[in-house]
Parts: sequence; C-alpha cells; structure tokens
Amino acid sequence: MKYRSLLKTTAVMALLAATADTAMAQDKMMRVRINADIRSTDPGVNRDANSDAIVLHMVEGLVGYKDDASIAPLLAKSIDVTADGKAYTFKLRDGLKFSNGEPLTSADVLASWQRYVDPKTAWRCLKDVTGSGVASVTSVTAPDSSTVIFTLEKPTALFLATLARTDCGGTGIYHKSSIDAQGKWVKPVGTGPFLLQEWRSGQYVQLAANPNYVSPGGERTGYVGDKTPKVSTVRFMVIPDDAAAKAGLYSGDIDVISDLNNADVEELSASKQLKVDKVASMGLTGLLFQTRDPLLKDVRIRKALLLSLDIPQIAEALTNGQSPANLSVIPVPSPYSGKVQKDVPARDLAEARKLLAEAGYNGQPIKWLATKFYPSLFDAAVLVQAMAQEADINIEIETLDWATLLDRYTAGNYSAMSFTYSARLDPSLSFDMVSGNKDKSPNKVWDNPEGLKLIAESTTISNDKQRQALFDKLEGMIRADVPLIPLYSGTRIGAVRANVEGYKTWPVGYPRMWGVSFAAGK
Amino acid sequence: MHALSKYVAKRLLWTLPTLLIVAVMVFFLVRMIPGDPAQLILGDSASPEELANLRANLGLDQSVPLQFLYWLGNVLQGDLGHSISNGASVLPLMLDRFQVSAIIVLVAVALATLIAVPAGLIAAWRQNEHVDIAIVAASTLLMSIPSFWLGLMLLLAFGLKLGWLPVVGYVPFTEKPWTAITYVILPVVTLMLIEVGVLTRMMRASAIEILRLEYVMHARAKGLSERKVLLRHVLPNAFAPTWTMIGLVLGGLLGGIAVLETVFTLPGLGRLLVDAIFARDYPVVQGCLLFTALIYVIVNLIVDLCYPLFDPRVTAS
Amino acid sequence: MIRQPANLVIGSLLLIFIGGIALLALFWTPYDPAAIKLISKLKPPSAQFWLGTDEFGRDVVSRLMTGAVQSMTVAILTVAFAVTAGTITGLIAGYTRGLVDRILMVFSDALLAFPGTLLALGLMVISGPNKYGIILALGVAYSPSVLRIVRASVLSAREREYVEASRVIGNSEFTTMFKHILPNCTAPIVVLATSMFGWVVLAESSLSFLGLGVPPPAPTWGNMLSAARTYIEKAPWLGLAPGICISLTLLGINLLGDALRDRFDPRMEQR
Repeated sequence: MKYRSLLKTTAVMALLAATADTAMAQDKMMRVRINADIRSTDPGVNRDANSDAIVLHMVEGLVGYKDDASIAPLLAKSIDVTADGKAYTFKLRDGLKFSNGEPLTSADVLASWQRYVDPKTAWRCLKDVTGSGVASVTSVTAPDSSTVIFTLEKPTALFLATLARTDCGGTGIYHKSSIDAQGKWVKPVGTGPFLLQEWRSGQYVQLAANPNYVSPGGERTGYVGDKTPKVSTVRFMVIPDDAAAKAGLYSGDIDVISDLNNADVEELSASKQLKVDKVASMGLTGLLFQTRDPLLKDVRIRKALLLSLDIPQIAEALTNGQSPANLSVIPVPSPYSGKVQKDVPARDLAEARKLLAEAGYNGQPIKWLATKFYPSLFDAAVLVQAMAQEADINIEIETLDWATLLDRYTAGNYSAMSFTYSARLDPSLSFDMVSGNKDKSPNKVWDNPEGLKLIAESTTISNDKQRQALFDKLEGMIRADVPLIPLYSGTRIGAVRANVEGYKTWPVGYPRMWGVSFAAGK
Repeated sequence: MHALSKYVAKRLLWTLPTLLIVAVMVFFLVRMIPGDPAQLILGDSASPEELANLRANLGLDQSVPLQFLYWLGNVLQGDLGHSISNGASVLPLMLDRFQVSAIIVLVAVALATLIAVPAGLIAAWRQNEHVDIAIVAASTLLMSIPSFWLGLMLLLAFGLKLGWLPVVGYVPFTEKPWTAITYVILPVVTLMLIEVGVLTRMMRASAIEILRLEYVMHARAKGLSERKVLLRHVLPNAFAPTWTMIGLVLGGLLGGIAVLETVFTLPGLGRLLVDAIFARDYPVVQGCLLFTALIYVIVNLIVDLCYPLFDPRVTAS
Repeated sequence: MIRQPANLVIGSLLLIFIGGIALLALFWTPYDPAAIKLISKLKPPSAQFWLGTDEFGRDVVSRLMTGAVQSMTVAILTVAFAVTAGTITGLIAGYTRGLVDRILMVFSDALLAFPGTLLALGLMVISGPNKYGIILALGVAYSPSVLRIVRASVLSAREREYVEASRVIGNSEFTTMFKHILPNCTAPIVVLATSMFGWVVLAESSLSFLGLGVPPPAPTWGNMLSAARTYIEKAPWLGLAPGICISLTLLGINLLGDALRDRFDPRMEQR
C-alpha cells in the first residue's frame, strides 16, 4: 500500500516535471499570418483558402494528402477497394477520440456524411459525390462500429482524391456537438491536433492544442502521419497588407508567413532572423482567350500571340526566377508532368507576323483584363502588352478589381485576360478546370468535344501508363487550339522566424502548425 | 432654449431624407457593381447550377427593388441583417469595429486641432515672416504626403528599425489599456500629422482675413495688447471656417481611414467596409455606409449647433 | 520678410516648370515610358537612367514626365468640376435659404456622408475604369465640401452692411450675389481649391493603394507611388521621385493660391 502510493507520487512528480519541461517550450503563442479573415469554421461550407487551412487543423477525414499530394489513410487505418472498383471499405483507427474526449465511431462518419450530402448544408463538393461530378455514391453503410463502406455507381480513379480535397474540408468527420439542436453549425469538434479557442472577427482565429489528440504515428507528411501539436496555442492573425506582414515578421510580431511574394524571397533569405523555405506549387497562372470573341476566334491570332511571347522571360520576371515556365495545364510537381508537358515553344516574331497577316489582323485593339489584386496578373498583362507590340499586336489593358474580373471570367465575358487558378491535384481535374461546353459552363475556355471525351475517360482509368498516354494526347490537342497560354505553376514560399522549428512548406501550400515548435532557449 | 430645441428637432427631421437618399444610393450602387458574393464564395471552379443555388440561398435571385424593400423594412425594425461572408450579425460587428476607428479619429483630430489653431494664428499674425514661412512650409509638406506612405515610413522607423512599438495587431482598450496604447500610437500620429497641415492652412487663411477687418484695427487703435486682440477678436472669428473644416474632416475620415487601417492592420470600420466592398458582402456594405452617413449627419449637426458660439454674426435660425 | 509677389513668382515658376515638363512629355521623353527592359530592372539612378528604373526596367524619368500629364489632367479637371458645381450650388443655397437651400443641403449631406471610396469604385465601374471615371467620382465627392464652405461664407457675408446696402440701393438679387457676395467667398474657395488639388493627387494614390485608382499601365504619380511601396527598401528612389513631384506641385499651387487670394481679395485694394 505504502509502496504503491510512493510509486504513484513519484510517477506524478515525474509527469509534472516532464509536463513542466515541455510547457516551457510550449507556453509561447505561435502567430501565423493569414491575409483575410476566414468565412466560417464549417468544413467545406462557406469557405475560402484561409478557412480551409484553419479548419483542417481541427477536423480530419477518412483520407488525407501526403506532402506530394498523393492520398493516404487518415482516420482510416486501411482501405479496401473491391475488384470492380465500386465499393470502398474503410476500417477506422482504434482509440480515436474527438477533442471533447468522446470516442469516434462509424456512426459519427455516417452522421457527418448525412449532413454533407444534405443539399441544405450547401457542401462545396456535393455534386462531386452525388452524380453530376466525379463520382456518384449510392450507399454508405456501417456494418460495425469501426467499419464504413461507400458504394459507388461506377468506378472512378478520383473518389479518394475528392474526399481528401481541401476545399471539401477534407470531408472532415466531426462530433454531433458541432451542430446545435436546430441543425446550425456551432464550431468544429473534431479529431485534429488543435481545437477552436477564439475567433475574433477581423483580428484573429486562435487555436489551442487538442488534449485528446490521438496520433497514428508515422512520418509527418501532408495532412497525415504524426500530427502531435508542439505549441499550446496558435493564433492566425488577419493581416491583409503584405508590407505590414513582412514588417511584422521582421519585428517578431508574427512567427510564420505561409505565402510570401516572389519579389521578397531574395531580401528575406538574406536575413539572419528568418528562415525561408520554398517548393513548387500546383496552381496555374496564365492567359485566357475567349475563343468566341470575334477577333480571337481565329486560332491563327491566338497562335501568333503565343509566338510573340518570350515565356521563359515572363515567368522569370513574374516569379523573380522562382518558377520555371510551364505551358501545360498539368503543374510541374505532378508526376504526370513529362517531356511533352515540359516543352516550351520558342519565341518566333517572324512566324507570328506571318500568321497575323494570314488572319488579316490589322492592329485591331485586343482588350486585356487584369487585376491588381494579384500583382502577378497585372504584371503579366503589362509584359504581354510590351512583347506582343513587337509583333504589332495591339493590346489595351483594362484593370479591374478581383470580384469584377471573376464575374467576367464566370460569364465568359472577355476577349483575353490574365487569370490564376487554384491548385488542382490531379491532371484530370487540371484539364477539367479549363475544359467544358461553353453553352453550359461559360467559364470554361476549351470547348472541344473530343477532348472532353478523353478527359472523362481519364477519370475512370487507374493505370498510370495509360493515363500518361491520354494526358500526352490531350496536351497536343489543347496546344493546337491555344484556348489559353499557361505561364507557370507557381512556387509556394514560406518564411518563419529563425527560432521556429519544424515548419515545412508544401505544394498544397496551406500552413500546418502541428509538429512546429519554438527552439529552446529563445 | 426653446428655439434651440425646436431647431435641433427640425434638423433631425431633415436628416431623415438625407439618410433615405443614402440608403437608396447605397443599395442600388452596390448592386450595379459587377460581381456577386456567390461567385467569390465558390471561386474559379463554380458551375452555373451551384451559383444559381447559392444565389437563391442568399436571396439574391429576387428583383433588386424587392430586395430593397425587404432590406429597408428590416432596417426600420433595427435589423441590419447578417454578413454574407461569415454570417455575423451586422450591427454588433459594425459597432465593434467602429470603436477602433472612432478612438483613433477623435484623438488624432483633437490633437491636430490643438496644434493647428495656435500655429495658424501665429502664422497669420506674423504673415510673411520667418515663423509664417516655416509654418506654411511645414503644413504644405505634411499635406503633400500620402497617409499610407507616411504610415509605412513611421512603421519602418519606430516598429522595425528602433523596435519601440509593435508592427501588427491590435488589443482592445477594455482588455489591456497600456498595451492597447502602443498599438494605436502610430496610426494616431500619422493621421494627426496629415490633418494638421490642412487645418493649419485653413486657420491661417481665415485669421488673415479677420486681421484685415476694420474692427481689428479699431481694437488695436484702442490700445489693446496684441495678445488680447488675437485671443479675443481674431481667434473666435477665424475659428468658424476651421470648425466647419473639422466637421468635414471628422465626417469624411471614417471612410478615408481604411487606408491607414490596412497599413496598421487595425480592425476598424473603414477596413470592414473596404473588405466588404471587395467581397461584395452587400449587407455589411449597406450597413456600414448607412452607419457612416448617420455619424456624419450627427457630427455636422453638432458642428452647426456650435457655429454661433464662434461666429456671433450667425444666429441659429 | 518676403514681399508679396515672391509667393506669386515662386509659385508660378514651380507650376510653369511642372506644366512645361508635362507639355514636353507630350512630344518627347528620354525613353519610351512603357518600354520594358527586364535586364535593367530596379537600377539605381545613373548617367543612363537619371532617376533609375522600375521593376520592369522602365525609365523613371520618362514615366514621371508622362505621369505629370496624367496627374495634372486628373487634378485640374476634378478641381474645376468640384469648384464650379460646388460654388454655384453653394451660392444658391446660402443666398436663397428656405426650401431650395434645404433640398440642396439634403443632397449635399447625402453625398458627403457617402465615403469617397465606394463612390469612386461604383462610378468607375459604371463609367469604365479610366481617368474620366475618377474625375467624375472625385469631383462629385468633393463638390459638397465647396458647397458647404461657400454657403457658410455667404451666410456670414449676407449679414454685412454692404450687402444690405446693395439690396437697399435696388440692385437685383443676381447682381448682389455675384458682385458683392461671391468676391467674399473667393478666399475660402481658393484655399479650398488649392487644398483640393492636393487631395485629388493624394486620393488618386490612396485609391491605387486600395486597388481602385487610375488603372495602370498609364503612369500617374499616384500609382507610381503606390507601386513603389513593394520596393521601399530595395529601391527607395522609386517612391521618392513621384513623392517629391507631388510635394513640389502642391507647394507651387499653394503658394500661387496664397498670392492669388491676396491679389483678388477686394478689401486688399481698398487699402
């Protein structure tokens, strides 16, 4: 009895000492910059990039991305797919707990799924799992408390990738207390490494380490692996102005900027107080044409524009040498970006002039839309204007605010514009992002029935080689039509204070604050 | 006293059409701007059906006049609606942000007035002498600096190079008053410097006018000391136009302060408005503009009521 | 002690200098202000590029010169618009009082109460993003300030003996207004107009800062200044040059404004 109590006391003492020790390092709050306030904490509902980044610290789905944007189990410990590719069986990890201490069972997966597929929820990815998009889920069942089976109408290569999508909120599973009695969203109670502490509108979103976090172990990569939090509090601070954010990093008022301007890399890398980390990202910045424009419907003029540009130089100037030119819709880091995709045609002013003469172009002005909201889009327009002028192409730049530009994009109401797409993590999705029937979806730039058929085919095939062959064929077709000129896929650059340890930038780009800590002694 | 309260009542009554005009202008202007919140929420991968669904959810599929009547009806009941971006109730959101802007604007303008009035008076009194030239040069210089530029320079100097003051963030006064002050010093000083220039020039110009009037010469001829002439005869009369200017400045600043709130990352009303314009967050834009208009009207009523105090020639009638 | 004409001389010289540069820019600039040369980007001032180059390798001197044309046009037209509209309405409001005054004041209050940023954004979108949009927007936004100042001066002037006298003599309302009341308003109008000139140049740069200004690539001093912000530490000359141009212009216009006020003020001549 006495021994036992002594033992207990010692254990408690040791534990206290240990926690005190870690608490020393954890006590300081880690401050991360976000450039705008979040929209909500409801995963995949009323969201934007900042909302996704923060909500994914709190909830986890069945599967998640790894650093290279491939898919791995997250809440699941194993995934079995039947031979016909129609049934997915997810085995849940043992001992999973929500941040409120309640265990996570298959019933929670079903409940969350029910809410996701309820049209009233307005889940971002509803159409992608209910037919019109990627997949059609016909049933979801839970044979026991740790097993969930999804059945699809027909096989698709993209089902798991869709569940993992950041804009779908990672299809995160949350506890029922996340929603009130009226069915209204309250706050996320999930299994992620952090939980919501305070959201002060326009100022910050503060997260605290989740005391009930259960780590699956394994390497920390993407959204999977060991995500144990190493700081007690993370504050995402809303700082809209880039110059102010940069100053804040220098002064130590913030610790992490996850998305730095290309122009600042050189300067910040030179500072001893900071660490800069960069990686190729999977977006697309490029020039879009309206192929129904009276002038630009002539493919020769579009081709001439392409030939009048020195694209490597544009990419170099826009990204300050951080990203190579990439004329494919498939981003550089993708495993499908091969020789065909990496080809960059050389500038040829003589050929451009010849094509223009054939098309009967006579200096008619081309209205080019751009926005200063993304400085690279405006800069791209200025560079294109100057280079095209050398081939006697007359471009007039019209600068709009982002919402107006997006409106014109959505309606297809433009001749040409500079535009930037968010990351698409699969080549089928990259092609789908620009292709479609213009009568139904006026925002699509490439309307080629044969191309659309091939894209649809690419989503059902799982074999890498066969897919590569399809994408190579599509590459040739889209380049012949020149509905757009991709310029580069971008670089994600993160910067942290020198005493921040464990922060890693990755192609998806969102900040991840688990496993990140302050160096001891500072 | 009775006449005064009647005047106030009458003035307040006349603000109603002003506010109504503002409400109409705001509502229709905001909707004439291309782009809509549904597109911004759904981003570049939105399909037409998704857009239509979201528009219907947000009530944007109804005709604009119908939306207006619906909104106006709610406003009259004190309900300004909810933000499209994050669902927050507009009125508390606005009041929360307004405190931040109001503190900065009031303190900055008060300080600017305290500096500008004596400076302008002295400059006028010593017109074309060295003091005057120095004051005019200084105020001209201050007027010629864009506020965001000055703000950024001060931020670089005091926040970064010297490290005396925090660079980003905000702490409410109700939580830690002393820390809160460190966050607002730079924006207040920036705004004050910008406004001092305008007010000094206004004060100097009207004081010069007054100094030329006969009764000032009479006062001087009577043998009153220069001090008395300036304080008793010139100051009250010359202050009237400056006072009008202060009213204009105060009323206009709530809209104009957005730039400074962006540079200093302050969660104020100006930034709320500009962010809402860019996000096409209609309820917030409408609420903010109506609120700013109301503040403006009240400030000007107060300015006008004080007018007879400074300019004895005008009676409040 | 400076003699009165010194104001006039220095002010006019500054404005003639800047006006001259703007005129010259219509015919000649050292380089093409839009010519992009990425090899020589962000070069500090040198014999080749007197004030250095910007982030696209464009010559800053050439851009400043072209910018002078743009900025002057925007500022002059905006001030002219605001002063004309504001003075006429202000005179009418202050002189007639009564219902007309009330209605004008209600509208001017509504306009004044409307923050300029939204008015500018709204009007620029409706008129298309060009400099006439910003002239209209800022002109409309500023005219109520003129109206109020003019009205205040009229209210105070109409109580004076000579206005009363003019009416007693039997002069028409119109004559009284223009001969006896308007001259009394010149001083505040001139002061306000000169300040406003500065505001317009500054407002244009603030709007650029918020992403709503005169759309580049046409350079204005305002959008050059706001673009230079990104390179504030790496290339300070980019911000200094347009900043100094703005300050010099304002100094010129302010000095000239003071001199003109002294010249045209009726009571000056009486002495």
